[in-house]
Amino acid sequence: MHPLLTHWRGLAAYLLAAALAGLALAAGLAAEGLAPLGWALAWALPLSGVCAFAALSAYYVCRSQPVDASRWQRALAARAAAVALLAGIAVAAAAAWNATGLVFGRPAGFVAMTPPAWGVAAVAALGFFLLAMLAHDVLIAVEAAQAAAAREAQARLLARDMELQLLRSQIDPHFLFNSLNSISALTSLDPAAARAMAIDLAQFFRQTLALAGRERIRLEDELGLVQHYLAIEKQRLGDKLALAIAAPDDALPALLPPLTLQPLAENALKHGLRPRDDGGLLSIQALARDGWLHLAVSNPTPAEPAREPGLGQGLRHLRERLAAQYGPRARVQWGATAEGFTVEIALPFETATP
Amino acid sequence: MTLRALIAEDEALARHLLREYLQPHADIEIVAEAENGLDAARALTELKPDLVFLDIQMPKLTGLEVLELTGRRDGIVFTTAHDQHAMRAFELHAVDYLLKPFTQARFDGALERARRLLGQAVPGLDRLVAPAGPTVARVLVRDGSGGMQVLAVEAIDYIEAQADYVAFHSAGREHIKAQRISELETQLDPARFVRVHRSFIINLGALQGLEKTDSDAYLARMSNGKRIPVSRSGYERLRAAL
Repeated sequence: MHPLLTHWRGLAAYLLAAALAGLALAAGLAAEGLAPLGWALAWALPLSGVCAFAALSAYYVCRSQPVDASRWQRALAARAAAVALLAGIAVAAAAAWNATGLVFGRPAGFVAMTPPAWGVAAVAALGFFLLAMLAHDVLIAVEAAQAAAAREAQARLLARDMELQLLRSQIDPHFLFNSLNSISALTSLDPAAARAMAIDLAQFFRQTLALAGRERIRLEDELGLVQHYLAIEKQRLGDKLALAIAAPDDALPALLPPLTLQPLAENALKHGLRPRDDGGLLSIQALARDGWLHLAVSNPTPAEPAREPGLGQGLRHLRERLAAQYGPRARVQWGATAEGFTVEIALPFETATP
Repeated sequence: MTLRALIAEDEALARHLLREYLQPHADIEIVAEAENGLDAARALTELKPDLVFLDIQMPKLTGLEVLELTGRRDGIVFTTAHDQHAMRAFELHAVDYLLKPFTQARFDGALERARRLLGQAVPGLDRLVAPAGPTVARVLVRDGSGGMQVLAVEAIDYIEAQADYVAFHSAGREHIKAQRISELETQLDPARFVRVHRSFIINLGALQGLEKTDSDAYLARMSNGKRIPVSRSGYERLRAAL
């Protein structure tokens, strides 16, 4: 469908312009003495309306015959043929409509057209439809540019997501070096714990690196990653960190984008437990019910408001990221609760097809 | 001579490592360990240790904020795992720091350097800690229960001298700090804070009006209703500021 036909304001303006053109034509005819103004109007106004609608058909010609490098001759020929055809039909319609003036007792039709006048009319019709054709080519080019911009924006969003993935899969240097420092301290204090921590660190980075390019992973794998991460943090934070991870077996095969939970655990420690003198309980819960996977991460918060900038940005980013993948079917909510701070996620329950 | 040391570090294992590295140095006594920036600031103010092993990234206050708020400039050995911002600043001002994890030998080297400079401000530290200018934006105060707290200067209504202390009045609460009011006066932005009396500095933002008393003296009426005496020279300063 022509875009103007679904855009009533544009259509009204277009028809108004056509009516004004009809008025101008009638005034011109009257001034030339070819007919009194009333009769000239009776001929020109309906004619301008018909031509206005006929011009819209150029849209379909332009769209089906795009001017590109390989087929431009054909496209030009199609445009020329369409312009000639439309102009011919318009002139024929004008002549036929003028002839009906005889019925109203006008001896030469509504307007006493002379052969030179018909010549002018034919040239005007050709020019008008040629302009219509060009205008539609411009319109289609603008439409294409807008569509390209929208696609580009979408692509940028995806690229940013990929970049995030890449960033995440790279090593957080602060975490890495602090962990290595803890291992260094443990070597004399508790060699077995030092070894366990080195292995957790290796597993965490190995599994994170393996996520690059994966769109979905099983909840079980995400939780495995989170557990290696938290084992390291538990060693660093000691008694300050208590853990409660609950994920029933039926939730474990559920698919979710990788690194959905791990950044939440990291945030919970950074903004919640670490600034508190006595630490607290980090709770991660998963639940599969009625076709949905529910995830919740809660942690106590420090009494003083956090000063770190960027708080909430990670959560907004997670929301965007899930919205880009699931549309309106993903829900991310967060806020203060009795436990302190809770983030809740609901995703459609999906499993890998066997 | 025994050197008294403070370990400011939020992770237990990292504190353990520092204790272990300090063991061969029999002349160093660990007088306190702080798990966050506020505790570190309190220990620094109260215990005045000779040496401070100061982690940059700590809860509540970073190591650099601890220095900003306590004014401590000497006997500092910085430690950090990876704080790019701090590391760039250290490099820029040629301040030595320990990158975790570090060896005993590297630790001994930093300690040796700190010993040599004992009692002298670490070169470059002033520019690193207080790049904002001569006036302070926050002060470290003690609240009623003896805990430390950081107070933004714009939240202060007025300051009252009390013997060796100054009392900060902010949002209906009183906080104290061991400091002379004349010294404090030089640290505050003169466009906002005016010494209206030998014992009072007021925040112009909290000033509501001036009242004349029967004896031709002035009182400053503050937004919380408190009336503060204004001396003759204080009145001149106030007029100049307004």
